[in-house]
Amino acid sequence: MNYYDVIIIGGGITGTAIAHELSKYKLTVALLERGSDIGIGATKGNGGVVHPGYDPTPGSLKAKINVCGANRYPQLARDLNFGIINPGIFVIGFSDADEAMLKHKLEFGIKNGVKDLAIIDAGQMRNREPQLATTARHALYAPTATVVDPFEVAIAFAENAKANGVEILTSQPVTAIKKRTDGNFLLNTPDQQFTCTYIVNAAGNHADDVARLAGIAEYQMKPRHGDLLVLDKDMVNKPKTVMFPCPGPDTKGIACIPTVHGNTIVGSTATMLDDKEAVNNYAPGIQALIDGVHKILPELDAAKIIRTFAGLRPVVLDNNNDFYIAESPTVKGFIHAAGIQSPGVASAPAIAELVRDLLDNAGLEMVPKADYNPYREKLTVFTELSLAEQDALINEHPAYGRIVCRCETVTEGEIIAAIHGAIPAHTLDAIKRRTRAGMGRCQGGFCQYKVIAILARELGLSADAICLEDAGSQLLCGAVKGGAK
Amino acid sequence: MKQLDYDVVVIGGGPAGMAAALKANEKGATVAIIERNDELGGILNQCIHSGFGLSYFKQELTGPEYAELFINRVKDSDIDVYLNTMVIDLAPDHRITAVNQDGMLVLAAGAIVLAMGCRERTRGAIKIPGSRPAGVLTAGLAQRYVNIENRKPGERIVILGSGDIGLIMARRLTLEGMQVLGVYELMPYANGLYRNIKNCLDDFDIPLHLSTTVTNIIGYPHLEAVEVAKVDENFAVIDETREVIACDTLLLSIGLIPENELSQNSGVSLNPRTNGPLVDEELATDQPGIFACGNVLHVHDLVDNVTLEAEQAGTAAAVYALEQKAAVSENRPAENKATITISPGENVGYTVPAKLTIPPQKPIRILFRVRTPLDQAAVVIHTGTEIFYQGKVQAYKPSVMEAVALHPEELNRLNESDEPITVSVREVKK
Repeated sequence: MNYYDVIIIGGGITGTAIAHELSKYKLTVALLERGSDIGIGATKGNGGVVHPGYDPTPGSLKAKINVCGANRYPQLARDLNFGIINPGIFVIGFSDADEAMLKHKLEFGIKNGVKDLAIIDAGQMRNREPQLATTARHALYAPTATVVDPFEVAIAFAENAKANGVEILTSQPVTAIKKRTDGNFLLNTPDQQFTCTYIVNAAGNHADDVARLAGIAEYQMKPRHGDLLVLDKDMVNKPKTVMFPCPGPDTKGIACIPTVHGNTIVGSTATMLDDKEAVNNYAPGIQALIDGVHKILPELDAAKIIRTFAGLRPVVLDNNNDFYIAESPTVKGFIHAAGIQSPGVASAPAIAELVRDLLDNAGLEMVPKADYNPYREKLTVFTELSLAEQDALINEHPAYGRIVCRCETVTEGEIIAAIHGAIPAHTLDAIKRRTRAGMGRCQGGFCQYKVIAILARELGLSADAICLEDAGSQLLCGAVKGGAK
Repeated sequence: MKQLDYDVVVIGGGPAGMAAALKANEKGATVAIIERNDELGGILNQCIHSGFGLSYFKQELTGPEYAELFINRVKDSDIDVYLNTMVIDLAPDHRITAVNQDGMLVLAAGAIVLAMGCRERTRGAIKIPGSRPAGVLTAGLAQRYVNIENRKPGERIVILGSGDIGLIMARRLTLEGMQVLGVYELMPYANGLYRNIKNCLDDFDIPLHLSTTVTNIIGYPHLEAVEVAKVDENFAVIDETREVIACDTLLLSIGLIPENELSQNSGVSLNPRTNGPLVDEELATDQPGIFACGNVLHVHDLVDNVTLEAEQAGTAAAVYALEQKAAVSENRPAENKATITISPGENVGYTVPAKLTIPPQKPIRILFRVRTPLDQAAVVIHTGTEIFYQGKVQAYKPSVMEAVALHPEELNRLNESDEPITVSVREVKK
């Protein structure tokens, strides 16, 4: 049977950050992800803002973790080679009441240790964002705030963890957990069994369900749903800054967010739901996004929307809207990293360090590895190369001279590399997340059939077997009449 | 890295690109076509139905047949064709950077013809709510799967939008044994050509539901159903008409958008009404020596019209390139042309061209489409209140591209300070 010191359940940004952290120590660790790829739960339904930490109430768990996590990002981005931009954040006030709120946030931010915060006036805002609504009066400016691509970060964490010995297993939903008499846990998935001494529960919206498998009923969870939309890269007058309105009680409000790849995201709404699988878009939500962003940028062209998507923030009920990161008082060795709602992306690196400390306190011996490699090479990105480098690459590997995705200029070489990457991409969406093929304005209309053909060829499968994402999402269903081939 | 030099480089080897290249070549220019796919012909290759060529060749052809006639002409010419080659940058000075599996290419061109075609509008563009499962795809992609890849996208199909590709696919999927449950159109009229409604829907008993749209996408990981509902005259959903239809595939035929990202790189200005370049009567953009034709300029109804337009662009590009060469060798100064705007008026969505060089030297054709169907109306061309062309009373449909030919003598009293030339289609009451 497969024994590990620690099994992490859940391969989102939280679980992979924990895997990355634990891979620095002489431990045997496995990560089990129920989905066909990592980073496809709450992690992919996310705007990617690394919140600097002026929001959480000082003294809360969130407050401690958020600032520390956000501060880790610039170095992590260098070591793990993921994209990061530093657009800063405006939290915009439109009234006197808003100004009071901004001052309050400023105070929170200073207490929480956020650097370089300032309240700025309309003129200063407009210098940076000339398209800003004339009703905007003042803003809390957080110049250190960064934006990342959350699933790229999760992939980077997972790949580096794997290179340092962590097993990353996808399509492994945990169906049963037993605490054996020897103190170890026995875990079942539909086709495998594992044993381990410690479990880290990073199962996102399903953390309470996973806990229940181990007989733990400490908390209940519900998702807080958010609609988001993506605007074309070629939009004119793109915002340079992440811009939020003054926040409401449960949400930071509808923001426009410049992305790592030059798109603009508008997000997110916030609605508590019962259904943990309802990653749907709702018409009123989409309208609220358009109306919301127009309050900040009245001229933003809604015709530049290329996609809508949605995410579910995992909320632990009756927990003051805070994270729930602790060892279970009833089942020893079971650590929760639950309720990782916003600012989950910012917090992930610090959550990983906290979980490491909780494991240490729980008796796990943490001995640093001498041969730990903190660096990760990313896949070649054709468009980032100079003309001469592109030419040389094609001479060596002609597949880099075949453009598959015209909107994002993605080559066949990049797609093949992703399919055979450290965390292999075996679905259309997994390819999209790693290479951006299908991410552009035609949304795969021109390249989907090409990507399917490459996947089928490289994996030795029929085109009919290729899935969009989860099992059961096949894109084709057999040969046409007389077209069998 | 390869460095190449041509009088005219045509970007795109579909029907527009081939026709433009052939004409430019005929005028004595050295010509290259750069095509991103592995064969010439563009989207015609997957349009295996007939109905092409009726006006240009006076015979009914399939898409591949129509394409082949041009492919053969290109083969018989000394036009250089670069297949599997993608242009990744186009500079205002006509420097083209392209890539293929032999490496990077840099091409210098005296003139450039943009002929990159268009793409389909997607689910995101119209923001259909619901889940995001497999089974939702554009009609053109479905056409590729069925006609070229020999694969079925599903078994029970709902089609949103009554664009021509959607109508053609309704018939095609039915012939291939799939069940097409209906075509749903938000507008109170069909967007496709009348002949396609007749031949592709009516003849196969496929219902067309007007003023009806898809309001929800249901099922995950694969599509299981769509919710449809009628809309009122303001396009607001009428709640009590919501109805769930079990299906495994939703095809979208909701419009086409000219692909001008490359054009914009070169500094070409676009016409917000067409999403294509702003051109004059020679199909010249506002960047000297860059011309546009076919669906990259504006979405056409018939390929025959694409061919005619492209021939004009190819000719103009060759004339430009050869004159520039001569001008450089003779040290002639470039001439400055005066232009006047042509703008769409009452009931007209857009015009091509959108500007006119004055005084006009030769007859010009103004193409336009109406915004809504009109049973009895007449085209009126005027500057301010002065009417200088009035057409016959006829029916107009948005699906049909209309053309008016004007002679220089009708236009030669125009001057630069005039108000724009306005093209209106006015309803005529009985």
